[in-house]
Amino acid sequence: MTAAARLRPLVLPIGALVLVAVVLVVQLANGGGRFAPSPLADPCQARSAATSTPKTLDALGQDLVLRGLAGAACRLGISREALTLDLAQDHSNPTNAQVDALRAGLLGAIAAMKKNGTLPPAADVVDQALDATDLNGLAKLAIRALPDGVINQALPTDEVLRQAIENLDVRALLTDLDDTDRLSDLVTAAVTKAVEQTLSARLQSLI
Amino acid sequence: MRRLQVPLLALTVGFVLADSAIVTLALPAIMQRLHGTVPQIAWVLISFNLVLAVCAVPAAKVCHRSDPRRCCAGGIALFALASAACALAGSMEMLIVARCVQALGGAFALVGSLELLVSVRGERQGVGRWIAAGVVGTAAGPVVGGLLTQAISWQSIFVVQVPVAALAVPAALTVPPIRAQATERHRPAIAPNLALALLSAALTAALFLLVLLLVEGWRRSPATAALTVTVIPVAAAAARPLVRGLRATPRMEAIAGSVLIAGGLVGLALPPSAHLAWTIAPQALVGLGLGMTVDRLTAAALRDRLPRAVHGGWTIAARHLGVVAGLVVLTPVFTASLQAAQGPAQDAITALVLDAPMQASDKVAVAQALADHLSQETDQVPDLRPAFRSLPIAPSDRAAATQLEQDLNDQVQRAATRAFRDSFLIAGLLALLALVPLSVRRRAS
Repeated sequence: MTAAARLRPLVLPIGALVLVAVVLVVQLANGGGRFAPSPLADPCQARSAATSTPKTLDALGQDLVLRGLAGAACRLGISREALTLDLAQDHSNPTNAQVDALRAGLLGAIAAMKKNGTLPPAADVVDQALDATDLNGLAKLAIRALPDGVINQALPTDEVLRQAIENLDVRALLTDLDDTDRLSDLVTAAVTKAVEQTLSARLQSLI
Repeated sequence: MRRLQVPLLALTVGFVLADSAIVTLALPAIMQRLHGTVPQIAWVLISFNLVLAVCAVPAAKVCHRSDPRRCCAGGIALFALASAACALAGSMEMLIVARCVQALGGAFALVGSLELLVSVRGERQGVGRWIAAGVVGTAAGPVVGGLLTQAISWQSIFVVQVPVAALAVPAALTVPPIRAQATERHRPAIAPNLALALLSAALTAALFLLVLLLVEGWRRSPATAALTVTVIPVAAAAARPLVRGLRATPRMEAIAGSVLIAGGLVGLALPPSAHLAWTIAPQALVGLGLGMTVDRLTAAALRDRLPRAVHGGWTIAARHLGVVAGLVVLTPVFTASLQAAQGPAQDAITALVLDAPMQASDKVAVAQALADHLSQETDQVPDLRPAFRSLPIAPSDRAAATQLEQDLNDQVQRAATRAFRDSFLIAGLLALLALVPLSVRRRAS
């Protein structure tokens, strides 16, 4: 029997193997096997997205919360997403570790934004802040009439925010995540108190 | 009626064997309508195949000892009645019971049809028609089921079988009396039946899991999924003309077919994206493999073995035990993978919502809608689209919300695809295991 005759029965299985190899190589070359949920970012690495200065209070708040969450997750040794889901799913009784980590994360976020120069000056957000408060119209008018330089000098953004975080009842904030009105009250109270404390400290230093 | 005997009996064989997988594309609709879970829905398939596997050989023995015409006609009538009961089922339990009865009738119809087709057409042509009808039914089942589900309803899958079966009853009864067969009794052919069982287990994954992936994982309509899986029957039909010129032995065809099925299943486990085009080449491999293995192995299991009906029963039992084994092995693997995929999917979804360029209040609205929606969709791949309907978001954030919805669906598709991977790979391994009995047979011969 010639070699060709001996190999003839194997033509079909070999052809099948070649066909399979071609299909699998094409699939793998185009990303086959890697089509899976996106991997999560390391919470301890600075996120590249937030490198510009936020233009609104909402954007500033979001930046702080996202950076704060990442910082807290980094301290707790879990992902930012896992911490968010933990807090969202069972927020009635946050642990001391979660509360402490979140506060530390938020303070770290303020420091990082100050270092990057991405904290907006107080004058940039004072109009929006005034709109959100229940001050009387005359007081709002008076504050709006102040020059930007005076506002920025009297209320350095990082100091106000840091003081606000110190004043903030983080445990109550986490417990009331479902109640947006209560959340707003807590944040407004903390910020208002922080503004008062900052102004008072400025005046004392002047005297 | 005599002229219609062969087509009607072949059609009945095709329908009974198609029933093994015909409901596959209707499973999501059945699951929704009858409020079933994934393990429960698997039993709609398992029950039919298990009863068919268990009853095929005893039914063949009964047919061999009694009048195959009455046996076949009785089986077809029972199959028709049970099909009607499936269409009328109001609960998962009722549907599963009706499927069991359907399989019992189907077992008698199948083995009886083998004897009747041989009686009308002679040994070679009769067996050939019986095998061909089975291959066509197996390959085309999901396509027919999907198109009927989309065009009419899942109940229509069962309703269409009733008139065909009703016509096949008189066709079976009018076949001329069958001459008594020789009293010779041969042992079942172990190697081809074992290979049939392993390949059927693997093919179950190709048909059952692929359809689930398309409809539940990638959110395609049953009609789109049906059209997509037509690649398998088309390739199966093309297999014979393609290999004819190579003059390969039946065993070499079966070996090559097993390799093609295994390769196709690995291809289905590793799609680069959720684009339907990526399933075509792997499906073509599976279809070519199906066309080169099932008929060859069935013919090998039947060749020169008596009683014919009993050996036909053994091939049916082997194939459907394989299907059951495939479902029993793959369903828990798939369910566990689906649960394991939930964590990474949730994390990826959370990351997308957190980083979406939207106002905080709109993010909270999206998160709440998603949480409410996901809590209602446990133990299945979630459909996030309803969560985005009538969301109270600012007009300035609508474009970002649309982009977010697309990105979230992409993550769900990624997670679903990943969840199916292990099951497809295990099925590929089962197809490769079929090479063992095929090579043992070679040494024996």
